[in-house]
Amino acid sequence: MIEGTLVNLRASEMADLERNTRWINDREVTRFLSIRYQMSLAAEEAWMRELVSKPLSYDRPFFAIETKDGVHIGNTNLFNVRPEARAAELGIMVGEKAYWSKGYGSDALRTLLGFAFGEMNLNRVELFVYDFNARARAAYRKCGFVEEGARRQALFRAGAYHDLVVMSVLRAEWEAVRDA
Amino acid sequence: MIEGTLVDLRAVEMTDMERYTLWFNDPEVTRFLNRRYQFSLAAEEAWLRENTGKPLSYDHVAFAIDTKDGVHIGSIAFHSASPENRCAELGITVGDKAYWSRGYGTDAMRTLLRFGFDEMNLYRIELTVDARNERAQACYRKCGFVEEVRLRQHRFAEGAYHDTLWMGLLRDEWAAAQQAGGEVRR
Repeated sequence: MIEGTLVNLRASEMADLERNTRWINDREVTRFLSIRYQMSLAAEEAWMRELVSKPLSYDRPFFAIETKDGVHIGNTNLFNVRPEARAAELGIMVGEKAYWSKGYGSDALRTLLGFAFGEMNLNRVELFVYDFNARARAAYRKCGFVEEGARRQALFRAGAYHDLVVMSVLRAEWEAVRDA
Repeated sequence: MIEGTLVDLRAVEMTDMERYTLWFNDPEVTRFLNRRYQFSLAAEEAWLRENTGKPLSYDHVAFAIDTKDGVHIGSIAFHSASPENRCAELGITVGDKAYWSRGYGTDAMRTLLRFGFDEMNLYRIELTVDARNERAQACYRKCGFVEEVRLRQHRFAEGAYHDTLWMGLLRDEWAAAQQAGGEVRR
């Protein structure tokens, strides 16, 4: 496993299925994610069977987030990895709401960034965050992410258009945060 | 076909294959595109067969650009159109370099934008462009696009990292521009 301070990152297992399904059907969780429709246990099972059937790799860095007590609280991954540019997009979901705003998400982010820059040798990690997700934007800033701008009204959720804020952290910026 | 002033947009055909292969293997054309590896005629043929075999639709909007004389000079498309967000990403290539900087690309852009807003009922159209590609940016600005994001060190090419710009155009901005300049333009 990949060790953080409050959490560890490990490969997903089929045993995570019910929790993952519960989280992505919870609209308090998905209002900040690009998930709108409900997901059946069967559809999630098919997706997870595919996920866990192959070893994690440069193209598929997908991790379950566990507290140090072994409680599975969410998932985090990199995707759209572009080796020439050494860049990837980051996604994170803390599905267990009891663990929101307590530093677990930030620690998972720092742990994944340590892996992305320290092991995958990336130069840039980027993400899109909804403008109304102030908690996430603050967490990303703490980890060294910089706001690069916003795709205006690119997202329609809950009856209105919203901006998609683009953030990224470059290798040197990450190293400054890590060593601080 | 969808009529512009200098160009028309039409469905892509298998007979376009050799031109596409030529263009997408031309480093001057692909310099600012995400196509760095060479492309065989066979790979292009497989891609075209797959893509010309299905009717154009909301999820699959890709046109060949023809001049009014019927010369095929490039292609233009929407990618990842999202019906919930009413947003799509635009991509254009003028592959025939003899037609660069003469208004053909801009006319193709305006023609597709009109189609996107007036027929597909999009709310927003966006695109990414290499920060070094000033000719393209000037064209996009002329069409009303606004620079929204600078993705730092986003691409690597020619031995260095380069920034990418994200530009967007909203339906209201497009409508206002049409009212201001529409008569002259049509």
